[in-house]
Amino acid sequence: MTSELIDFTLVSVAMLGIGIYGLAVKRNFIRMLFAVEIIINAANLNLVAFGRFLPHSGGQTMALFSIAIAAAEVAVGLSLIIVAYRMYQNVDIADFRSLKG
Amino acid sequence: MLEITSTPLVLIAILGTVGVLLPIISIARKEQGSNSFYAVIAFAALIVSMGYVGYQFLNDHIAASALFSDDVIVDDAFGGFFAIAMLIVAIFTTVGSFNYMRKHNSPAVYYSLILLATIGMVLVAYSTDLVMLFVAWELMSIPTYILVGYMKKNPSSNEAALKYFLFGALSSAIIVYGISISYGLTGSTNIGEVIQGYSTLDPSLLPLALLSVGMFIAGFGFKMGLVPFHQWLPDTYDGAPPTITALLAAATKKAGFAATIRIVVLGMVVLNLDWTLALGIIAVMTMTIGNVAAIMQKNISRMLAYSSIAHAGYILIGLAVAPHSSLGLQGSLYQIMNHAVMKGAAFIAIAGIVTTLAVTHIDKLQGLGRRMPITALGLVIALFALAGVPPLSGFWSKLMLFGSALDASSTLWWAPWLAIAGVLNSALSLAYYGWLTRKMYFEGETEKRIAEPKSIIAVMIFSTIFLVGFGVYPEPLLKFVEFATPVISLGLMP
Repeated sequence: MTSELIDFTLVSVAMLGIGIYGLAVKRNFIRMLFAVEIIINAANLNLVAFGRFLPHSGGQTMALFSIAIAAAEVAVGLSLIIVAYRMYQNVDIADFRSLKG
Repeated sequence: MLEITSTPLVLIAILGTVGVLLPIISIARKEQGSNSFYAVIAFAALIVSMGYVGYQFLNDHIAASALFSDDVIVDDAFGGFFAIAMLIVAIFTTVGSFNYMRKHNSPAVYYSLILLATIGMVLVAYSTDLVMLFVAWELMSIPTYILVGYMKKNPSSNEAALKYFLFGALSSAIIVYGISISYGLTGSTNIGEVIQGYSTLDPSLLPLALLSVGMFIAGFGFKMGLVPFHQWLPDTYDGAPPTITALLAAATKKAGFAATIRIVVLGMVVLNLDWTLALGIIAVMTMTIGNVAAIMQKNISRMLAYSSIAHAGYILIGLAVAPHSSLGLQGSLYQIMNHAVMKGAAFIAIAGIVTTLAVTHIDKLQGLGRRMPITALGLVIALFALAGVPPLSGFWSKLMLFGSALDASSTLWWAPWLAIAGVLNSALSLAYYGWLTRKMYFEGETEKRIAEPKSIIAVMIFSTIFLVGFGVYPEPLLKFVEFATPVISLGLMP
């Protein structure tokens, strides 16, 4: 049984790594949003996997909450991107530099 | 079980109902409606909530200090303290928006989002379960993403919102990951049980426990503006509408501290590791980098944004020495309450300046003391309180924080250095606050006085009374802080 759990956690850690890599390297806002989503899903995978090996369902409940909230967050993020796209015709964060100092 | 009249539930009921009703009213009226109509409703809801928290405190219905419970939220003085600080800031924001939002569209949604974000912030401080904490955290964050980008036609507002959103989403992703690890290690999401689980953890799993705590610090640190995670903060504070900046700087930042105190500080004591040094180093870096960067700013919002980073560092001193000095957390809470009022008032003053003069560049503020005397006076008092000048309330909280660092010096050899760094940084901050004051009062030609927005004047008068009043007579606020401060001891465990 435990060998299964370690499989899930390894996949989760790999997803965390992919997410952080995406945030660090990509400069397209939508790609960065995907990277954040991958991190959230890595955490969800962890929660569900741990919940599977525990006698109660707290982990799955938390994962459901987190999925719903991540959806709300993405909705807000995409709406912000649409506004930005109308202004700049672009979603590259390298172009957003009216603020600095 | 919580009673139906317990403070957090009543606050959810009042603020939630009004927050949801405001957009419905605006749709039902088939018109945009006037800004002041919705502002008055939101203001009334906040005042009623504030009154209810005060009523509960005065009637001793609230248990002292911070508790753990099997429920997801608990009605304790720690949460009530933060609720009062955040409601004050939300009231500042609403009142300041009376004038600021006059020229903008759809005020109903704006005030509704402020109320919903306020529920989130208050619940972060009350929650005793990681699931609840995460939901409250997001309820606080998501409305503020929209509020920061509320000026749709303004490129800098949109850019500020995008940056804030990206870092905010990353911070919540990191928090969920931290929660998942702590859940895997202890089999529970209840904060009390997690802490207890950590105290009986197999030593071979200790690195994982540390990793989860590190992820909590990083996730909350993004909102608090601690130094490795602060890059978004000046841009966001600068680009956002100044009333919303007041909400971000003075309230969402404090929600981060509330969550950190509840999880990390109370939880790390049982892990029995030398984590205080890490927090101490972050504290010194945060205040130094914040203050040094603030000196170089030419824009008043950015200057105050960096000073806000520096203040996160001061508050962190108290957290770092918390296990070794009983004054530590008290000083932090005291500084949190003061900082909420000082920073809230300062950004609302900027909102007033932006509404009437439409300038934020410091050179353009010459002669402000004669053009807008009341706003300028309120701003200067807030700035000197931020610097910690003696007769003002900010002095006592800084004294307590630095005193706690000295107090801890018998067990922590490096603790006095925190106090030294804090004092030096305060002197440094006085330099740029003083420079700003000189610009406002002693430079520029004598210009005519212009009409100041009345709602901004009201905020200035309140903050001045608060800062001077509690500066001269700090006794009641000190008692309240003492009542609300969590007691760090192993007997705290459920």
